[in-house]
Amino acid sequence: MDRREFCKTLTAGLVLPAAAWTAAPASKLVVVRNASPAELVRKAVQALGGMSQFVKKGQTVLLKPNIGWDRSPEQAANTNPEAVAEVVKMCLEAGASYVRVLDRTCNQAQRCYSRSGIEKAAAAAGAQVRHIIDSRFKEVQLPQGVLLKSWPLYRDVLEADVFINMPVAKHHSISQYTLGFKNIMGVMGGDRGSIHNKFMTKIVDINSAVKPTLTIIDAYRVMLRNGPTGGSLADVAEKKTVIAGVDRVAVDAYGMTLFGVKPEQVEYLRLAFERGLGQLDLSRVSIEEINS
Amino acid sequence: MANRIRKLSQIVFLLLFLGLFLHARFPYESGWPSDIFLRTSPLAALTTALSARTWIASMLPAVILLLLTIPLGRFFCGWICPLGTVIDGSDRYLRRRKPAGRESVRFRSWKFFILVAVLCAALFSWQAAWFFDPLVMLTRVLTVSLYPAMALLTQGLFQFGFASGVAEEQWYSLYAWAQNRLLPVQSASFEQSMPVLLLFIAVLALGLVSRRFWCRNLCPLGALLGLFSRFRVFGRDVNQECTSCSLCQRRCRMNAIEDDYTITNATECIQCAECATVCKPQAISYRFSRRKNQGHIDLSRRRFIQAAATGIVGLAATRVGAGNRNETGRLIRPPGALPEEAFLDRCIRCQACVRICSSTGACLQPALTQGGWEGIWSPRAVMRTGYCEYNCTLCGEICPTGAISKLDLDAKQQRKMGTAYFDKSRCIPWYRLEDCLVCEEHCPLPEKAIRFDEREVRTPEGEMRTVKFPYVREDLCIGCGICENKCPVVGQAAIFVTPAGEERQPVGVFAGA
Repeated sequence: MDRREFCKTLTAGLVLPAAAWTAAPASKLVVVRNASPAELVRKAVQALGGMSQFVKKGQTVLLKPNIGWDRSPEQAANTNPEAVAEVVKMCLEAGASYVRVLDRTCNQAQRCYSRSGIEKAAAAAGAQVRHIIDSRFKEVQLPQGVLLKSWPLYRDVLEADVFINMPVAKHHSISQYTLGFKNIMGVMGGDRGSIHNKFMTKIVDINSAVKPTLTIIDAYRVMLRNGPTGGSLADVAEKKTVIAGVDRVAVDAYGMTLFGVKPEQVEYLRLAFERGLGQLDLSRVSIEEINS
Repeated sequence: MANRIRKLSQIVFLLLFLGLFLHARFPYESGWPSDIFLRTSPLAALTTALSARTWIASMLPAVILLLLTIPLGRFFCGWICPLGTVIDGSDRYLRRRKPAGRESVRFRSWKFFILVAVLCAALFSWQAAWFFDPLVMLTRVLTVSLYPAMALLTQGLFQFGFASGVAEEQWYSLYAWAQNRLLPVQSASFEQSMPVLLLFIAVLALGLVSRRFWCRNLCPLGALLGLFSRFRVFGRDVNQECTSCSLCQRRCRMNAIEDDYTITNATECIQCAECATVCKPQAISYRFSRRKNQGHIDLSRRRFIQAAATGIVGLAATRVGAGNRNETGRLIRPPGALPEEAFLDRCIRCQACVRICSSTGACLQPALTQGGWEGIWSPRAVMRTGYCEYNCTLCGEICPTGAISKLDLDAKQQRKMGTAYFDKSRCIPWYRLEDCLVCEEHCPLPEKAIRFDEREVRTPEGEMRTVKFPYVREDLCIGCGICENKCPVVGQAAIFVTPAGEERQPVGVFAGA
């Protein structure tokens, strides 16, 4: 441990308990293990009280999986297509007027949508699968932003009644592991590359303006190394896990533990917690673990 | 009647041509060959075979066309050639007045001159058909100029639709449909759009001088087909009802009817049958029989030698000049390209690869002089406009002449187009001592050709900081250029690909079509 890290840990050790003490009532988190991708998400949402807790009859839903890469489901660079389709079904069962699925991709969009299997699976489940249209980004003020004061965000996300963030758990060299917070980059317009510099603060700035109704982390397959693109099956592990919850910081915090990372050591989570975006201390979160 | 069928045929083939053009996009899986028209050109087939010194199997349809031309004459020009159809259309627009007498025939030897020059240059291994071949010309102008313009207008229409606030959902659904079939994936834009368009406009504008001016006087493909038409057995026949009114001669778009109206010039006639339609006593019919054909080719021996010399001097002229290594050192060819000389022997500059690339990674652009004047309009990867998609092999699949070989996905993913280098004076971690790693994030190689060192450094302000410094593994990098494309540095990227270490497809391993 170097000096810098020591100082950080020390600060965290002092600040976190204090902040946790004053934080809002305990949030709830559901972790489901050992089932098919579809069963995992269904059980997770049921344990949170069912989709009708989040989607009221006639509401519009924007579901944002990770469709960033021209990679197959086995390569685990994108959210599992069966899990995505199941969430679509649950939303429609709860009476959603429509469920729209989209992501701003990194590789060519049609390639990503088709090879990820998400286009086909989500459309078959009844979703509107849409490509990004550049003119639908809208400049949004970020009043809580520290470094970013405004950024173009996708209109469909801002206008939907319900926004479900559905990342896949992956390795990533800048954010360590990419989970819910990083997944929000898929609704950003403009030059996203520039936020990789001073990433930790900027990603929290963006997230402060986009609050998901529900965050579901797909960890059915996780990419352990060489993310976020991967490509080699040797870098993929089957964890057969799904984490779901309303508290996005808590969901990501638990997600980090899947990789053996202590949430307190992840800078963006600490910043998000300090800004009141959610609970970082998992001991203060009610966690329901389901092993099927 | 025959006239009507011919018009229908022209429209059908033009639509087919346009349809196949639009079809040349990712995923390109239906089996419809979008390059079939290009492979039907005997001119492209002959020149590439001569310059490459080898028979190119994928050009077989061109041989079939040539064989059909022997009995049937230049039916291709009148019934099929999509450029001919476009010229017929623009002629109608440009020339309202019908000629009063017979038009001059003095330019029509030029096409033979051009043909001889092109073939002689090819014999000395310079492939120049690309400038003149009508199918190439049309594919090129569609790819580089007209399609992008269409896309821009369509997008404008949709913007208008979205802004109107009326039926937004319907506009949105329609747009989703158009995105998958009609519109480019990113905005398609090409550096050479204007010169290519101007050349095309010039060809159409020649219609101001006479109808089908291009086809009558300049098209070397027409000249080649004309040579094979001399002994045709199907064609125009005039019976005793002829009143020698001269109407057929004046209306002939190819000026192929001699002063004895019963005699047709077989090298010029494109079998369009308009004369049969306009003939009042109905003296003209099209049928099989030995008839009065005239097949004189207006090219003297002296002109032949002049043409050959022109071709060879032209060849030499393009080989000199443009030796700037800063320019040639950025010439990155598509994966699967043959070694440079063999590549230029075969590349007909049709832009079929550029077209299909614009639907996936969008890195290919027609070059200007980066490959010397000899390589003008040949495909070149420009990573700041696009990048080579790791999972894509489409340019090799669509190349009609095998200048770019078709590679298996495995082979393509290991094929080195070049190598990426960091410009550390612009790279954010290196000069500003702050993390970035967008290049590393996008690197598609499973083992990552871009890696990083995490080191503690002291900033100029004296702060100690841990920074991830990226570097390139030269042995792994395939030069796909996604790093250069996605680099967030404004202007010139801080990581860029050069052709250093590039691998070309060995000649002879070429798989054909």
